[in-house]
Amino acid sequence: MTKWFATLVRRLLSLMALTVAGGFLAATLVRYSPGYGVDERELDPRLSQPSIEWIRSQHNRDPGLIRYYGKYLGAAVRGDFGTSESLHRPISQLLAERFHVTLRSVSLAVITAWAAAFALATLSWLFGGWLFDLSCTLISGFMLSLPAAVIALLFVYLRAPVFLAIAVVMFPKLFRFIHNLLSHASEQPHVLAARARGIARPRIFLRHILAPATATLVALLGTSASMSFGTAVPIEALCDSAGIGQLAWYAAINRDLPLIINLTLIVTLITVACNSFADYSSKLISGEI
Amino acid sequence: MSVRKRLRIIAAFLLCGIFLLAIAAELVTPYSYAQQFREIPNASPSELHPLGTDGLGRDLFSRLLYGTRVSLLLAPAAALLSTLIAGALGGAAGFLGGWWERAILAMADLSMASPLLFVLIALRAILPLNVAPLVSVIATFLILGLLGWPSSLRVIWAATRNIRNSDFLLLARSTGCGPMRMIFRQIFPNLRPGLFAQFWISIPVFILTEATLSMLGLGVSEPMPSWGNLLRGLEDFSAVTSNPGRFAPLVMLTLVVICFQIILPSQEDLG
Repeated sequence: MTKWFATLVRRLLSLMALTVAGGFLAATLVRYSPGYGVDERELDPRLSQPSIEWIRSQHNRDPGLIRYYGKYLGAAVRGDFGTSESLHRPISQLLAERFHVTLRSVSLAVITAWAAAFALATLSWLFGGWLFDLSCTLISGFMLSLPAAVIALLFVYLRAPVFLAIAVVMFPKLFRFIHNLLSHASEQPHVLAARARGIARPRIFLRHILAPATATLVALLGTSASMSFGTAVPIEALCDSAGIGQLAWYAAINRDLPLIINLTLIVTLITVACNSFADYSSKLISGEI
Repeated sequence: MSVRKRLRIIAAFLLCGIFLLAIAAELVTPYSYAQQFREIPNASPSELHPLGTDGLGRDLFSRLLYGTRVSLLLAPAAALLSTLIAGALGGAAGFLGGWWERAILAMADLSMASPLLFVLIALRAILPLNVAPLVSVIATFLILGLLGWPSSLRVIWAATRNIRNSDFLLLARSTGCGPMRMIFRQIFPNLRPGLFAQFWISIPVFILTEATLSMLGLGVSEPMPSWGNLLRGLEDFSAVTSNPGRFAPLVMLTLVVICFQIILPSQEDLG
């Protein structure tokens, strides 16, 4: 019980440390990026000096990094991530509007990709011969060779849902990993002994292959979160889905640094939390905790 | 000869052929990648233009060859950079141990936790977007090289740690071998196969990432061609249906990535 609690506290502390360190890194990048605090309206010769001073005051340019970061962190704690320079709206408002769209797409994509990859890898292990195996390897190899943006375009033409496009990008990676994991497990001496004794394949699969592999599979689930959020950027941008992936792309195209840096930071925190949770669950399952 | 070996030979020949074609682009095609034939935009394949022309009347075949050159020269360069970073940091973490090891691994974990594409576009956005095409090419691949090291680092670190704990290194240490000599004479030669595999694995990953970045308008900028911004031609559905030559960059990219996957050294090859 004590070890369980200590591990949990350690994980939460590392997540907090990551937030502070990541925030500092993000603030440093924004503060020292070329063109920080410069508004192109300042170049307009029609504007008077007071108007230019007012525009400058809107950017809250701070001379020191620490002071800048202090202000940024203080506001972030209150849920204020600043204002988007291109959309002229609070970033927290944009996140609230769009986050659920991405979360829905990503969750459905993870479920679909996992279901397909796991089902196919299991079928391949249980019933597949070399032809089935080869076909699966060729198809997944081909899918791995396609850029995510091309798959997004294909889904635009097909008018298929966005989550399916994300799932198609994730599927080959998951399939290869699960397939290799099951193949490796099936070469273990105790599995060979069970086969030699004539135990039915489904029973071997459930008792001697799936059970030991569960911890690794749960850990992979955490990695899927990071993978799916990354994939959401090109898919949402090209499929015109109003999620945070599209917002990140829009921010990058318009060089809206506060927006893109905050989005990256928030997505990183979410994926780290997912990874930590999956890693923790995996250790619980494997009995390490 | 096994099927796998035969496939590898075919893939290697194909890659060499494509590479040579891209290097000798000036000899293969008479047009520059930016030359416009304004009277024939979106032309179908013909004798003069084997893959037709794009919306601005530029010869697609020339653009494909020059784009292949950009992608096939710079992706390995970025892979080399990321492998060198992974080798230096992973080797240091594995060899030095202690706080160094913890700090470097924490840094790698942090980098791996963030979705690569988010970080890539954030860093790309920090740099000015309206830069010269050549600068955009260098910036894109430099960012890929600088961000692509964490997964390789883990592999190199594990290999170095195994070497550090090996008997032969213990023997070297006990005979008074200095740290620099140990690194260059004992550790590095044993890490070479792992570094080579990581380098080879990174190339197709960088090719695909560049393609996605350029398709989003955040990679190589026009008029410089790369596979990524040539694939943007697929966004124009009517032009694609009238000229199937627009699929050529996709076919070329897929073929090259598959070839890299086939040639990829297996565990047995690395010993």
